[in-house]
Amino acid sequence: MYEAATPYISKEHREFLKKVKRKNVLIRVTQFALLIVFFATWEIVARYKIVDPFLVSQPSRMLKTMIALSQNGSLFMHIWVTLSETIIGFTLGTVIGMIIAILLWWSDFLSKVAEPYLVVLNSLPKIALGPIFIVWMGNGEAPIITMALAISLIVTIISLQTGFKEVDEEKIKLLKTFGATKMQILTKCILPASVPTIISAIKINIGLSWVGVITGEFLVSKAGLGYLIVYGGQIFKLDLVMTSVLILSILSALMYIFIVYLEKKLIRWR
Amino acid sequence: MNKIMVSLKDVSFNYHTLDGETEALKNISFDVYEGEFIGIIGPSGCGKSTLLSIISGLLKPSYGSVEVNGKIGYMLQKDHLFEWRNIWQNALLGLEIQKSLTEESKKYVEGLLVKYGLGEFKNHYPNQLSGGMRQRAALIRTLALKPDILLLDEAFSALDYQTRLAISDEVYKILKYEQKTAVIVTHDISEAISMCDRIVVLSNRPAHVKKIYDIVLTCEDRSPIGCRKAPEFREYFNSIWKELDVHV
Repeated sequence: MYEAATPYISKEHREFLKKVKRKNVLIRVTQFALLIVFFATWEIVARYKIVDPFLVSQPSRMLKTMIALSQNGSLFMHIWVTLSETIIGFTLGTVIGMIIAILLWWSDFLSKVAEPYLVVLNSLPKIALGPIFIVWMGNGEAPIITMALAISLIVTIISLQTGFKEVDEEKIKLLKTFGATKMQILTKCILPASVPTIISAIKINIGLSWVGVITGEFLVSKAGLGYLIVYGGQIFKLDLVMTSVLILSILSALMYIFIVYLEKKLIRWR
Repeated sequence: MNKIMVSLKDVSFNYHTLDGETEALKNISFDVYEGEFIGIIGPSGCGKSTLLSIISGLLKPSYGSVEVNGKIGYMLQKDHLFEWRNIWQNALLGLEIQKSLTEESKKYVEGLLVKYGLGEFKNHYPNQLSGGMRQRAALIRTLALKPDILLLDEAFSALDYQTRLAISDEVYKILKYEQKTAVIVTHDISEAISMCDRIVVLSNRPAHVKKIYDIVLTCEDRSPIGCRKAPEFREYFNSIWKELDVHV
């Protein structure tokens, strides 16, 4: 239970540790092998025309596209546009969602009033609002960010609100026996107790923000990975489409890894 | 006669729900004297916890009056240590809420932790501690505010039987040593007899005072575990058991 210095490790225990380590290594190796096999197969079946590379593209051609795009600098511009839109949309969704969830926790009246509206807004397919955003905000980044916000906000509010409500009533009673104010209950108990909920909301939010931004870029945009995908599709350049999708998946994976890292930092007490 | 710390006069309490009004407590009167440990025992759901909430001021009685002379500390059923705070931060929680964190009060808490064997575990998180240690940490969190009267609401019922015996013994000694007055709500008859100087037996809902027992035990070692050997123990047990009138 307590961390103590163990100067002596028995042979049996060393064997056990080795076994665990070996298993972890095997998992990693298999994960990489799968990726390599996937791309290699793709490359081979396209090269020997088993499938039409015009329709499915080809890893080597994707690499060429990537190099070509990065040489004229437009690759990073497109990545930056999409990434910044996602980060802004995601941050706004998380912050505004958190503020609204706190307000709804604070006032039972407000939360009861808001309930049917949240239910309706949650089930509404937000993409239907796209044309409205475009008419109102033009064809710049604003409607795209708004789209990302629209998709992530309601889910954030609902999941945080549920999390806040699940905090043990007895913990709140304990604070009340000390004479705590509502603000103290919020800051000393509700928020810290909800850190795991907040993290999981953030994880969901990241995914949803990507969905929102790419959808937004599909509808209206002059730049971004979503723009490249739609453009590539329209001119039948599948290399461009596949390359953009690949970059997109790498970006979202990196962002997810960052959140997992944050989670480990924040929840030491687990 | 000792000083009266808590005085209840004809306290009644009604719950209001959409289905109607429920009488929880009816005309409850008794006094708690300084340094006394008083047990409140009664059938489950009879309103024992409600009574503590009223004494502590969390609830206002519907009728009657409550007079409290001194500062109240509350111990709940579980330790409710905050998982995200280490033991030190947990112990300071009450002081933090009441904005009375000073060098002096910190030193006092530090002293309590050391005195009751948690000094080395200051930086541990609650999930690294055993049930008994957690309960002790919770007690120190309460004692940190220097209460005169402690309200224990089934404070040991979440522990397993052996830990429970050991911890109730320990808490008893700590509270006696710190010269506190205690109101102990429990459904465990033996626990009540072993810890308390007097026991108030409540009836079924709406709860009223059925009988008040003065517990006088002849034993050398007046600690909860020691006095379980007293010859009067069984008699009190049987008498209270009859008074509770339990039918399943």
